[in-house]
Amino acid sequence: MTKVDVVGVGPLADSWRKTLTSDVEATVIVVEARPEPARVTELSDEQIDRLWERPMQVVINGLQAAHERGARRIVVVVPTTGMSGGAQYAATAAMAEAARVLVKSAARQWGSSGVTVNAVAVDPQTFGVDPAISGPVSIAPRALEGSVDPGPTVQWLCSGASAHVTGQTVVCDGGLWM
Amino acid sequence: MNGSLRDRVAIVTGAGQGVGEGIARRLAQEGARVVVAARRAETGEPVASSIRGDGGDAVCIETDVADGDSVRRCVDETVKRFGRLDIVVHNAFTGGIPHRLEKAQIDKHWMAMSRTSVWASLFCARESYAHLAESSRRPTGDGGGRLILITSPSGVEGSANIPLYSPAKAGQRAIAKSLAREWGPDGITVNCIAPVAASPSLLTAFERNPALQQALEARTPLGRVGDITRDIGSVALFLAGDDSSYVTGQTIVCDGGSFLGL
Repeated sequence: MTKVDVVGVGPLADSWRKTLTSDVEATVIVVEARPEPARVTELSDEQIDRLWERPMQVVINGLQAAHERGARRIVVVVPTTGMSGGAQYAATAAMAEAARVLVKSAARQWGSSGVTVNAVAVDPQTFGVDPAISGPVSIAPRALEGSVDPGPTVQWLCSGASAHVTGQTVVCDGGLWM
Repeated sequence: MNGSLRDRVAIVTGAGQGVGEGIARRLAQEGARVVVAARRAETGEPVASSIRGDGGDAVCIETDVADGDSVRRCVDETVKRFGRLDIVVHNAFTGGIPHRLEKAQIDKHWMAMSRTSVWASLFCARESYAHLAESSRRPTGDGGGRLILITSPSGVEGSANIPLYSPAKAGQRAIAKSLAREWGPDGITVNCIAPVAASPSLLTAFERNPALQQALEARTPLGRVGDITRDIGSVALFLAGDDSSYVTGQTIVCDGGSFLGL
């Protein structure tokens, strides 16, 4: 077992950097979604750069670096904000959804060499997105009670056991987004 | 043609050719006064002139959608000229060069797509909001703010040939959902169209590779590639008009049934 290469900042990345291991070379990229709400009319160019452009380039560069180092499993972790949209989080939502769909492109291109690329989508509050501002992810309450740990899902997608799963998004939020 | 958009004012970016031109023509056929926002007047002015020749009302305003100041000037000039702005269709896009993701370069492959998709969508939203909100405050039948973003089926399913194209287009779908939430209380709707149409770039690709056209038509249940005005323009007309006033945050895939995974 080798340590999984973890790209990104924040509690999830910090935790997984210490704990995730795999039987194959694997990289996890946690997107840099920033809890910085702003109405689109107030978005400055600097904010668009900080909330959309820079984090997106980190994902592109992270995928390229993972491929370069020979990773067989690549997992990109995003908030479900990209799938649900979020009031005052347009730039962040764009970044999250772009990263999630880039996963599909990468999976299509690299699948022939046995590389799998998947996404894990988590509760936006994990990234500090405020549902009181963004609006609810779903009109229904979360299906499962208790704390949600996406770590085991990420761990499995990093392992050899997930060899035939690629281009997918596994939503691990306790059944909030369906 | 029933003049359902009479007196409304629409900006269509990238209307100098292809899907944007088709949408501009369709909206003008229904009475909208159309701004053909094109990066170069050489492409935009002939379209505006042709629309006028067909009895419509259109002007060309040179606009670089990748530049927020240019988008603001386009909006300001539109309102100065026509007195209002009801509909913004952001279609302009630059990029889409086939590449391998592992060899893609930020400057060469990504930035133009990023700037003309997500950046430009946010610019269009930022600069037009006040006018679209004002349109929605007009009496029913005389207004209704509409922002329509042109995305792609690749923005949903990814792309094996142009991997960075799909995230650029996916980002626009998330913007539509976000702004649908943000602007819903103002009565403004925000939606996407994901078309496959006979644009100049696709027709050029067909000329280079006739097998591509056959393959595309074979995988399309309706058996043909969409017409920019009749097929795509009519979807834009629906989203621009009163019939779609309760539709927001959605993506309408208009590709003859080729992509069914939404």
